[in-house]
Amino acid sequence: MVKRREGKALLVGLGGLGCPAAWTLARSGVGVLGLCDEDEVELSNLHRQVLYGRADVGASKLDSAELALKAISPSIELRRHSTRLVPENAIEIVRGYDVVIEGADNFATKFLTADACALAGVPVVHAAAVRWVGTAFAVGMRGRPCYRCLFEDLPPGEPFGCREAGVMGPVVGIVAAAQAELALAILDGSDVEGQLVTFDGRQGGFRRRSISARAQCPLCGTRSIHTIETKRYAPPECAN
Amino acid sequence: MDTMIRIPTPLRTLTSGADEVTVTGTTVAEAIEDLERKHPGIRERLLDDKGIRRFINLYVGEEDVRFLDGLRTTLKPGDEISIVPAIAGG
Repeated sequence: MVKRREGKALLVGLGGLGCPAAWTLARSGVGVLGLCDEDEVELSNLHRQVLYGRADVGASKLDSAELALKAISPSIELRRHSTRLVPENAIEIVRGYDVVIEGADNFATKFLTADACALAGVPVVHAAAVRWVGTAFAVGMRGRPCYRCLFEDLPPGEPFGCREAGVMGPVVGIVAAAQAELALAILDGSDVEGQLVTFDGRQGGFRRRSISARAQCPLCGTRSIHTIETKRYAPPECAN
Repeated sequence: MDTMIRIPTPLRTLTSGADEVTVTGTTVAEAIEDLERKHPGIRERLLDDKGIRRFINLYVGEEDVRFLDGLRTTLKPGDEISIVPAIAGG
């Protein structure tokens, strides 16, 4: 078990999920936060990316997040990774953290984070939100079940993404809170592996399920994925 | 036998915005066929020629049908089907 003040958590993406998750982890006393993003703050981010204000538009997310998080917790150690997570750097970046909080807005980064964490032996909590619905999924220390047990591979194109569909600010905040709660549970040594939390803001709130590992999962079952290969993170041709 | 299918937000464009649809059928496959009759085009978002698409999960109650009998999973009165698609965004 990692003591929370000694805990090291990496945020992959400082967007609508990463901002409120980082805010929660900083206020919860996590000792080290890694921040991995290379984007700048845009006006359209502000309704849900709660670490930034109007004065931050045009500034780097890392700079703005660092100021906001230091204001919350002056003693927190922040580690900057001014880059996207890509196949060439993924394992090197995730290694050394006790838990990874993945809130990427594309499937390639989600699957890359899943694979890199499994290969580096680092627990990860994945989350996503589109319109009124969102999910958070915890992969524990054993790495099984994993994201590829839940969703086997990249969808063709980006059929269920937020770019066209949009995302509701309160929904993404709620899902990020669930994601942070799962990450804190991992740091505290609680058994949350395989827990899938779904939230639907219009249909009936939260639902929590335990996911089973798939025997044929290429990442944690047959283990046929044992290296990071760039071509694996290109989505297949869209069938439609 | 009637079964309720909960429709996730990204697929509601195919159900005229409905967040749940009541269908008839004794198996998951029959339920999806009835869903397709009521809302043409939704089946291909859930299934391909190999079965359930790799980025879709179907649950009967709290159980992933992949760990039951797949599309042949039988439905009991009161069962509810949930669709959990892979989503990216935030």
